[in-house]
Amino acid sequence: MDKALARRLEARFGSTLTGPVRQRHDETEIRIAASEIPEVLRALHDEPEFGFELLADLAGVDTGEVMQVVYHLWSVTSPDWLRVIADGLPREAPRAPSVTFLWKGAEWLEREAYDMFGITFEGNRDLRRIFMPPDYTSFPLRKDFYLADDAARSPGAGVRHMERTHEPTNTPGAERTRRVRT
Amino acid sequence: MTTESRHASADDPRVLLDEQVGVFEPVPPYPPRTEREAEFYTLRDGEMFINIGPHHPSTHGVLRVVMKIDGENVVDLDPVLGYLHRGVEKLCENADFHHTIAYMDPLEYIASLFCEWPAVMAYEKLLDVEVPRRAEYIRVLTGELNRISSHALAMGFHALDLGGLTPILYSFIERDEIVEMLASITGQRMLFNYFRIGGVNGDLNHDFMSRLGTWMSRATTQIEANTGLLNENEIFVRRNRGLGTIDSQTALRMCWTGPNLRATGIPFDIRRAHPYSVYPELDFDIPTRSEGDALARYLLRIDEIKQSLRIIDQCLHEMPDGPIMAKLPRLLRPRPGRAFAAVEGPRGEYAIYAVSDGTDQPFRFRIHDPSFLHLQSFNLLMEGRLIADWMAINASLDPIMGGVDK
Amino acid sequence: MTVVGRTWNRLTLPGKIVFTVVPVLVVLAVAAVVAIALVGETVLEILGANLPIVRFVVAATAILLMTIPTAFLIIYMEMKGIALMNLRIGPDRVGPFGSLLSVVHGLKVLMKEDFTPTGADPTIFTLAPVVVYLSAVMALLVIPFGPGLFGVDMNIALLYFFAIGGLTVVGLLMGGWASFNKYSLLGGLRSAAQIISYEIPLTLSVVGVLLLAGTMSLNQLVQNQAGWFTDWYIWQQPLGALIFFIAATAEANRTPFDLTEADSEIVAGFATEYSGMRFGFFFFAEYVNVFIVSALMVTLFFGGWNAPFPFPATSLALDPASLGIGLLILIAVVPVVATLVFAAPFWLLRPTWPAWYGLVIGFVLFNLVAVAAVAGWAYISFDWVAGLVWFLAKTYFFVFVFVWMRGTLPRVRIDQLMNFAWKWLMELAFINIFITAGAILVVEALRSGS
Repeated sequence: MDKALARRLEARFGSTLTGPVRQRHDETEIRIAASEIPEVLRALHDEPEFGFELLADLAGVDTGEVMQVVYHLWSVTSPDWLRVIADGLPREAPRAPSVTFLWKGAEWLEREAYDMFGITFEGNRDLRRIFMPPDYTSFPLRKDFYLADDAARSPGAGVRHMERTHEPTNTPGAERTRRVRT
Repeated sequence: MTTESRHASADDPRVLLDEQVGVFEPVPPYPPRTEREAEFYTLRDGEMFINIGPHHPSTHGVLRVVMKIDGENVVDLDPVLGYLHRGVEKLCENADFHHTIAYMDPLEYIASLFCEWPAVMAYEKLLDVEVPRRAEYIRVLTGELNRISSHALAMGFHALDLGGLTPILYSFIERDEIVEMLASITGQRMLFNYFRIGGVNGDLNHDFMSRLGTWMSRATTQIEANTGLLNENEIFVRRNRGLGTIDSQTALRMCWTGPNLRATGIPFDIRRAHPYSVYPELDFDIPTRSEGDALARYLLRIDEIKQSLRIIDQCLHEMPDGPIMAKLPRLLRPRPGRAFAAVEGPRGEYAIYAVSDGTDQPFRFRIHDPSFLHLQSFNLLMEGRLIADWMAINASLDPIMGGVDK
Repeated sequence: MTVVGRTWNRLTLPGKIVFTVVPVLVVLAVAAVVAIALVGETVLEILGANLPIVRFVVAATAILLMTIPTAFLIIYMEMKGIALMNLRIGPDRVGPFGSLLSVVHGLKVLMKEDFTPTGADPTIFTLAPVVVYLSAVMALLVIPFGPGLFGVDMNIALLYFFAIGGLTVVGLLMGGWASFNKYSLLGGLRSAAQIISYEIPLTLSVVGVLLLAGTMSLNQLVQNQAGWFTDWYIWQQPLGALIFFIAATAEANRTPFDLTEADSEIVAGFATEYSGMRFGFFFFAEYVNVFIVSALMVTLFFGGWNAPFPFPATSLALDPASLGIGLLILIAVVPVVATLVFAAPFWLLRPTWPAWYGLVIGFVLFNLVAVAAVAGWAYISFDWVAGLVWFLAKTYFFVFVFVWMRGTLPRVRIDQLMNFAWKWLMELAFINIFITAGAILVVEALRSGS
């Protein structure tokens, strides 16, 4: 819980943040809009009072209502992990700017987010599928991803709670999507 | 004849006739999707593609690399991943929190405990659980043992990929003893499934302590003997010195972590930079080298083994008594929220970002693997190198495809 | 089903083998006896008139047949030796200490499916292993195994040897190109580059020996090194021997120069698409090559079939026929008496064992002693036995050194290998020649001057 970091972030990015700076345990979290990604991350990377030089993770998240791109950063100036959530990407055609101009290593991370969620990163020179075969047509980690022959959805759903999660129905995927406000 | 022949006839569309067999080029049959792909798959005069295929003795798993070569010089390369993609993240979204720990093991199967560790740490953050001190010490002890066995294996395979048949068997002597030790407390030699939310599964027992004692008494001399075969070997040093050199700023831009980053000069180790568990109370150094080449990475792993031995020694001496599991309800429902946990694995930063929606299944379970980012840098490291150098660079980076492909 | 058919079905496999093979053997034996009776005399006359050709044919056949057991033995040595160096056990199931495993490998290789990959050139693909194997066998023709034990005694034997060694390149290139596989192509080109590069230091390094001996005949070279071990050329040509050893390692595609078949890089190099007996040919050829370079090393620098010290010229050559009836008594009585003599200590010291244990042990011990005695007599009386024993001992020592290097060293890269050959070994070989020639001139001048 680095209060000083929270104050610095609010002072620098006050209006860009779409929500308060949240802190829990050893993580600090800020939320921004997707269009602000390049400026905010460049500021966090380049400015000496922040100096978040290490990109620890780049993840895509499908909340059921919107898509998010979540960055985790580390700096020598703070003992906390900084989580930057770029919120509000539409689920139908999610687009986000790329951070490959700061970290070349983000290229494959963004490829993975594209492959699993369909988030198109503008500015990534090499945005193609990385795990799935090149002719695959859906994005597996989306919440409405439905495999036609998914055994978990077969009739005679299992006994334990875990196996009952996907009751066999004939409703299309959109209604069975899990949603969460997060 | 009225009976059917068991062999397909020439009309069967599955049979490729000789005229249909073309040249086996690894060029994809669809138009290029990105500019990089277009640039890669256009051949200039004298170049050809060769496929270091998923079946290969040196790829440390199922990795396919399409190389564009000009004779023996490698002009460009394009790693193709996904041969070991098992959809672990999706599986974890449909599983209980406890079950996801077992899903974590096959990711970096050589160092399974480091895959479970960030998962249980993330859950403990979501549940606000405090892990008993004895459990933390046991986690550190077994984790460092796993690190030693992973590094020993990495060095052995490094030598094997360069043609030396003997060092890998010497390394496996160490690894065999360590996995037998860990098997006596976890029940498994390889995919341990040992860490639990709030502690560990089983306490240390007499068998483990006696094996550990025997092994520790000669571990240092054994490792010196094993590595002495290669450290001074002219051929090995010549093959590795100056190979795959990367400077520290580029390594940071490529998001490298772990021994590969420390070999370039940056002393970033999560155990010291962002301490977790009981590492703040333990006394160990962060070995660093500044050359950034394959030989530096190899020697750094040996240094790390020595530091791990120090840590194990301290853990044994300072191991407190107490419970090994926190008191938790059977059905865990963490608070809705997000948690990120990272540990220093033998290959680098191994991290989990868990999003919980208040039910007993994780809503999103993101796995961050260090080898994924190391593999991205092949183009940089292979500037003006030969095919044989790719094997040495790959071995020195020490990727594990289970983690890369998830 | 006929009577024969029913009987055939009831036989076990060994029975079937016996019933097929024995009649064939009987028929062949009868035919041989008849043939000898009819045309034996004339055939012997013809052979006697063309003795050199007969000798050559017999020698060539013997060498061809000898390569197989040699390859088996070296393969076993390698498997077991490297295993022991790796702190493993190696083969230990098939035969005592696993010694029959390489024989079983040979049989397995014969039984595999024999196919040609699609797109490969069938003629060249088939001929490549033949060329490689033949070049190995032909090189063995000139190596003197003992006094009088050689295929052909040419006075340009050494030159012939290196010429045949170059034939291997053709075979490897054929295999690499005809496989229709990029890995094979890479392996073939690498091997061509490697072997051609190292042929120069190889041939240059023996020029020193040629200057000292004045002849290229291997037989003559060995005879020049007769006497004590200080007469061996290794003391006069240490640098040449070292260069020869290194270049020979590269010629034989052995670690640390085994990039052509580097199985962690290009899977199996030129032999990727080969399986079954074709691969067996490549495999055997490699080990016969190891034997050949070891044999040449021994011949040129370590005295060939000479013992390290000159044996007193005794001869116990006795004609067994001169014993007459004594021979029959010897054969009948000695085994029985010796068995009882050797069994007696076990009967006395181990009364708990059954009596037949002692007899069996006694018989085994008698056999060992008898074999040792006969071998020792053969060694002392026949000079070719002694020469063969020393030659093989020395050669297999060097084969062991090659196996040792394989178990210990990693492999070099192609550009490091070529650098080494062209920038170091060739220059050292030239220096060696100059020094040798200079030394000969100086010694001659001193000798004639004083």
